[in-house]
Amino acid sequence: MKVRINGLEVEAREGERILDVANRLGIRIPTLCYLKNVYEGASCRICVVELGNGKLIPACAYEVSDGLTISTDTPRIRESRRVTLELLLSAHRITCQNCPKKGECTLVELCSEYGVEGIPVCAECPLHGEDCFIARSEICLGPITASGCKAECIRDGRTCEGCRGPVTRRDVIEWARGIYIEHGISLEAVLEKLKTYCASSREFDLIREYLVVKEVVEG
Amino acid sequence: MSGKICSGNLIESLQRIQEKQGFLPRDSLIKLSRDTRSPLSRIFGVATFYHQFRLEPPGKVTIAVCMGTACHLRGNAENYEFLRRFLGIRPDRSTSDDGLFSLEKARCFGCCSLAPVVKIGDMLVGKATPRELQKAISRVRESILREEAARGAGGGKT
Amino acid sequence: MMRQEYWTLMDPCCDYCLHSRDNPCAKYVVCRMRGPFCHRSVECREKRQRRIREVLYGSQGVRINIGASSCGLAAGAERVLEAVKDGLRSMGVEAEVSAVGCLGLCFMEPFIEIQSEDGPSPIYGYVSPENVGDILARYFEEGSVDGAFAIRKRTGRFKDEDKVPLLDELDVWRKQVKWVSRNCGVINPESIEEYIVTGGYEGLSRALTMRPEEVIEEIRLAGLRGRGGAGFPTWLKWKICREQPSEEKYVICNADEGDPGAFMNRLLAESDPHRVLEGIIIAGYAIGASQGVIFVRAEKPLMAARLEKAVEDARRWGLLGENILGSGFSFDVRVMRSAGAFVCGEETAMIAAIEGRRAMPRQRPPYPASKGLWDKPTVVNNVETLAHVATIMAHGWREFAKYGTERSKGTKMFCVTGGVKRTGAFEVPIGTTIRTLVYDIAGGPHEGRRIKAVQIGGPSGGCLPERLFDLPIDYESLQEAGAIMGSGGLVVIDDTNCMVDVARYFTSFTLAESCGKCIPCRVGTKALYDRLSAIVEGMSSQEDLQLLEEIGIMMKEAALCALGGTAPNPILSSLRYFRDEYEAHILEKRCPAKVCRKLVSYAINRELCVKCGLCAKSCPVGAIAKTADGYFMIDESRCIRCGTCVITCPRGAVEKR
Repeated sequence: MKVRINGLEVEAREGERILDVANRLGIRIPTLCYLKNVYEGASCRICVVELGNGKLIPACAYEVSDGLTISTDTPRIRESRRVTLELLLSAHRITCQNCPKKGECTLVELCSEYGVEGIPVCAECPLHGEDCFIARSEICLGPITASGCKAECIRDGRTCEGCRGPVTRRDVIEWARGIYIEHGISLEAVLEKLKTYCASSREFDLIREYLVVKEVVEG
Repeated sequence: MSGKICSGNLIESLQRIQEKQGFLPRDSLIKLSRDTRSPLSRIFGVATFYHQFRLEPPGKVTIAVCMGTACHLRGNAENYEFLRRFLGIRPDRSTSDDGLFSLEKARCFGCCSLAPVVKIGDMLVGKATPRELQKAISRVRESILREEAARGAGGGKT
Repeated sequence: MMRQEYWTLMDPCCDYCLHSRDNPCAKYVVCRMRGPFCHRSVECREKRQRRIREVLYGSQGVRINIGASSCGLAAGAERVLEAVKDGLRSMGVEAEVSAVGCLGLCFMEPFIEIQSEDGPSPIYGYVSPENVGDILARYFEEGSVDGAFAIRKRTGRFKDEDKVPLLDELDVWRKQVKWVSRNCGVINPESIEEYIVTGGYEGLSRALTMRPEEVIEEIRLAGLRGRGGAGFPTWLKWKICREQPSEEKYVICNADEGDPGAFMNRLLAESDPHRVLEGIIIAGYAIGASQGVIFVRAEKPLMAARLEKAVEDARRWGLLGENILGSGFSFDVRVMRSAGAFVCGEETAMIAAIEGRRAMPRQRPPYPASKGLWDKPTVVNNVETLAHVATIMAHGWREFAKYGTERSKGTKMFCVTGGVKRTGAFEVPIGTTIRTLVYDIAGGPHEGRRIKAVQIGGPSGGCLPERLFDLPIDYESLQEAGAIMGSGGLVVIDDTNCMVDVARYFTSFTLAESCGKCIPCRVGTKALYDRLSAIVEGMSSQEDLQLLEEIGIMMKEAALCALGGTAPNPILSSLRYFRDEYEAHILEKRCPAKVCRKLVSYAINRELCVKCGLCAKSCPVGAIAKTADGYFMIDESRCIRCGTCVITCPRGAVEKR
């Protein structure tokens, strides 16, 4: 039978899944929960692709049929994947330091690929096996800075300066706050350092609210 | 005749255990796992999935508050909060400290036209208000205590 | 086989009748009513006709029906039944007392109906053990139908018959079409005999004389679509399943009705269980299955019990089992009780539950029609659909197709609850407008209230505002408007309800019921719920609305099953039609309906206050204190807005502002 993926007409076998066909052709469809022959439950919905009739379906579970038209990368698909990742992150404690994967995971990769904000530099840092500055009581903005820089400064032996702008997710900041307090770093000092790049931004106010004002209220 | 559908349906086995014992004791689940040669994890997975199964012994009387749409619109959320307070059930538990009542939220009983509905034991209270619930529960509590007292006087503690 | 002490219509009339389970007679069912066919005997004929009359009106020509399905029982039907028996005994009147199902007029439960062969047949509502004696005395001793809700037929024998309206003239009845619910509230659901007398199992007898393909064709001509929600053509599902090469096939009857606000399946199966069973057998015959399962919701035990009784009776008289009515078709059914999970209503999840696993849906296709229970082709139909099947086979597709619209034929039952005068289950032709259903049949809003919307289809459906009430109810037009037909639950929302609170309620429902398999549903419902909670608590910003829409649309597109895919519907539809209410919560921190506790304040109306002090006593934070002049005052700064004082005040003097 013949199917059409991204405008390319290809031969497919009976019973093959869309993901199999795409993999054979070298078309990349991201997956998270799929593990061939072990878990094929189509839970994560990251591998959604668009059919000719406009439906979004998971490529890992959908068997091809003759004449099927499939697109694997459209704005709709990207948007769906992005929101899924956002949701996934909202239910995920981003503490890559304590994770056995040490940040070397598909989730982090996909988040940066789909522009999902909310992952701090701290997730990238352990990828490169760097030591933690905060553990040495140095003021590093890694926990509250958006990732995507591949932790260049840290690999260069410097603390994070927060040049990519802050992460504004409340749960992340609260986690970061815990880390700073645990290592005896003054939150005021952290804010002072953060001012370098984003003193006048809206995000800065937000962070100040979550990091410091909250403390005043509680204290 | 019923063949495969009937044989060893885990859900029905669990329903039988609960019917007999009122809840699913750990030992019974371990025994079921051995008898049916299916992993305990699988049995536990099923037992925790469905609302019907409980892993803690229930109170003497179960009070189920319907959380269907009609009941919600007509004030059962407030009834539920009231019952929690009235029965003195702690936030992390579902049974009152005296072990008499357990409170649970139930899905629609299908008696929406009598909304809001609360089920005390086998008795359905339609068009329930806190005041009426208070009365009904006091009646039930009295009858239980009276029964217990009678039993206590008759043959000592069981 | 257990023999009853008296002769029933189901028993052989004399030694000539040879029907038994081992030696089934093809004409068994029709022969009961119009027979005997195999031998000439005036005596046997009369014996049957006599018994039919007896079943209809009791041996004395009078029969008293008491609605005793779950809703009637909840309203106290059991005590009424005892009171009726006592009353008759004390008056010395002999009449048959029968527990029947539900008429669908739930607002006036418990009801009784006096059916008389030659007198008027009045129906009384709001009956209680206290007033039933008067009703009976008036009817039997004074010859009066005073106080009746309606009468079925006028006879002229009672003096005040004209004062009571005819049932058929009342809006609540006139605008309905009793097609599938014709027996509900009329026959005793536990008696197979009464079902046969009203024409039961004739559809099955007819189907068994046809080829399975012809049965499927008949259903196609009728234009029956699934009544469970999606409206998939029933015949097509059957045809696909029939064409599968497998030896073993199954029929599953979806009786796991979980939508809050929908109870038509319970009503049907409790009031007329044999009709459902007959539909299952016909479906089994059409697709070539040998086994059926009825999967009943855990919270509805009476429904399971009545279906079990029906299965047992049908088996006993050879309507189920080996070689049904001599056709060579063998089929058996068993009833399985769910352990309670809303997601079981999804067909693949239901199959998982029947197989004894956690009820988690799986990705379709493959659809159950090709790969279902134990990977065998399986047809999953809902209770109402199957009851329609039996009725269509008995009366022919033309009768059914008379009703409905071009694309959706026939009738559909709707349960109307919430802020209307007459709550209940009503059967109307598809294409009836919402206005007819809500205002004419259900009687419109309570005094002094205004209806602002209806929520159709439960937690999977959407709300429609009052201005769209002239929309005909059919699968397509509802979908276009952002709601779904669903199983047919229709909750009327009046001006005392807050749309945001309603949306939050439905989301809390799907959040609790999400099986957790896929991310869009598991995390999405939580995210939606958190945003809505922030809105009702006045802790939100305009961006939250955008977020709700963004997540909602993603869930619709990417969730694994229909439960997740439809979960955002209540939010998306209320955002579409009631954005102003959301904005009032967000921008003005105000709940227009005064429902959302954190956004209302309480005050004591001095004109109503009787200075009893109960409010002050009950206040958990001590925010209510006595003022110098003896009245009580609420200290706004300490009030936690729990609402306890409102409940406690005996005079309703605590007002929301």
